[in-house]
Amino acid sequence: MNEIIPIMVIVPLMAALLISAFSKFNKVTKIFAFVVALCLPLIPILSNYGLHYFGGYQPMLDNVTGVMYHPAITYSFTFLQQIFIAAIGLLTFLVIFIYLTKYKKVSGPYLFLLFLGTAAVTAMILTDDIFHMFVFFEILALAQVGIVAASSIDYSYEMALKYMILGSIGSPMMLLGIGFLLALTGSVNVSDIAAAVHAGLVNATSPVFLLSLALIFFGWLYASGLPPFHTIKSGIYSKAEPHGAALLQSFTVISMISIVLIMFRIYASLPIFEVLIVFFSILAMILGVSLALTQTDFRRMIGFLAVGELGFIGLGIGLGTNFSITAGLFQALNEIIITALLFIGFGAIVNATNEVDTRKLGGLLAYHPKVSIMLLIGGLAMAGVPPLSGFQSKLMLVQASLSCGYPELSILAIMVSIATFVVFVKTYYTMFLKPKPNDLDLENKEVPKAMIFAMGVLLVIVILLGVFPDVVTSGISNFVGGIL
Amino acid sequence: MKLYDQIFGVVKQFRKLFSPGPVTNADVSGSITAEIFLIVSLVLSAILLRHVNVLLAGLVTMILAIMLISNIPLIPKFKLEQDDSLEKMLFYAIVALVILATFMYWGGNLV
Repeated sequence: MNEIIPIMVIVPLMAALLISAFSKFNKVTKIFAFVVALCLPLIPILSNYGLHYFGGYQPMLDNVTGVMYHPAITYSFTFLQQIFIAAIGLLTFLVIFIYLTKYKKVSGPYLFLLFLGTAAVTAMILTDDIFHMFVFFEILALAQVGIVAASSIDYSYEMALKYMILGSIGSPMMLLGIGFLLALTGSVNVSDIAAAVHAGLVNATSPVFLLSLALIFFGWLYASGLPPFHTIKSGIYSKAEPHGAALLQSFTVISMISIVLIMFRIYASLPIFEVLIVFFSILAMILGVSLALTQTDFRRMIGFLAVGELGFIGLGIGLGTNFSITAGLFQALNEIIITALLFIGFGAIVNATNEVDTRKLGGLLAYHPKVSIMLLIGGLAMAGVPPLSGFQSKLMLVQASLSCGYPELSILAIMVSIATFVVFVKTYYTMFLKPKPNDLDLENKEVPKAMIFAMGVLLVIVILLGVFPDVVTSGISNFVGGIL
Repeated sequence: MKLYDQIFGVVKQFRKLFSPGPVTNADVSGSITAEIFLIVSLVLSAILLRHVNVLLAGLVTMILAIMLISNIPLIPKFKLEQDDSLEKMLFYAIVALVILATFMYWGGNLV
């Protein structure tokens, strides 16, 4: 048993509570938040792989049936969890760093929400207990609503409220589905449920089992922002502070893969499960990119592109082979990094111009060359241009769909990448290359150095993952081999 | 000439898509790209039905292609349906639930 594993959840959770309680001490809060945020990416990197059983209740072997039962809530920490928790930790650090340098007086509740969200997604990806996952899924939804509502952007409250109302449909559906699974198997431990299904103890064609899939699947659509929740998801990204949006999209990606991996372990024997994932992923790719092409608000445009990219992750997982799932998870990691880079970069432009309408912008290359170059590389990575990280994962996805006998999906993936490229080129041209409009005031407005630093760090990761994808893909592939 | 006029009419209708505010060349090119992308990607996705039945795939693809092309411009209507209205979001959430139920009920032979 590895005692360090729960620390990854406890540290941000305790930090959230302490910061909230002592936020009136501004300087101490700032130093404490910075130190904790710095520790977040280091803890998973320095920890050993293993399992943690809460309360110390070890798995029990039933000597009659030979089945292993897990009475405790179990946290499993492998390479996959390590890489994603480190990525979210790094992003949290960068976002908190940007926030602390931007404001002289920091808001305790806002920092509370950022740390709470990080703790929630960390627990979601670590847990092997579906109800435990649901509890943190709810906490995450509340943290997301808070982060959006706390921003100073117009109509952010309205968008946060809409997200909460839609959540009041998605979350109970998921809970009901979990309830049906508990009724069928007598357990909420994913390993136990999966073992019962694979051993034939649960009738996979029973209406209750299929209904549980439909309900949990619907909750997953809400969590991941796949259609029909793509509009609200892109909406909350555009109404959050840019650094907050960078973290929000990473929360979405991690909750998406956490839930889908749990569903995959339970329902993979049903071909309808994979059909559903592919169906909604295709829909997300088409809707996300089509709507991104028609946006004039560049925050909304990135929001829709982020939703479209989620479709690639779903596509990889829906194809159901080791190679395709590895590609999907690698795409998830890339999306977290690249989209965060774009949100922070475009946030820097908002900071410098107070403008989000691309029609009112122009000529920014001359004023902010560093930001524009880093944004250009980030956009090319998202579109899948070699040798950047997005290219590697998208190439793997195209190869995976071809080898599964779906050339249509390969063509669609390439088309979506090209359309993403068009979106980015169009936006880049209007913002950076076309002549500056006369009424645009750009004097004496600098981009914060913390934002440039954050973009630089993310850009280095994008380039490194593009040149050395094996560093990540071989570990992910081993993990996928374990669940297949 | 009829098709040319139709496409020209489409471009004029994009004006509504960007109001209030000016419509730039980049916006119109983006919208035309979105229009073509939407049609081609939906038709391409329909071909996937060949894994269920080849004849069905052929029929659906042809009907879909004719329907989509004869109804251009799709993007203004499409964008109008995907706005931030809570009623529309709730409506599409219910539609998604219906799709899930349909898959579960009639997709039983895939299980």
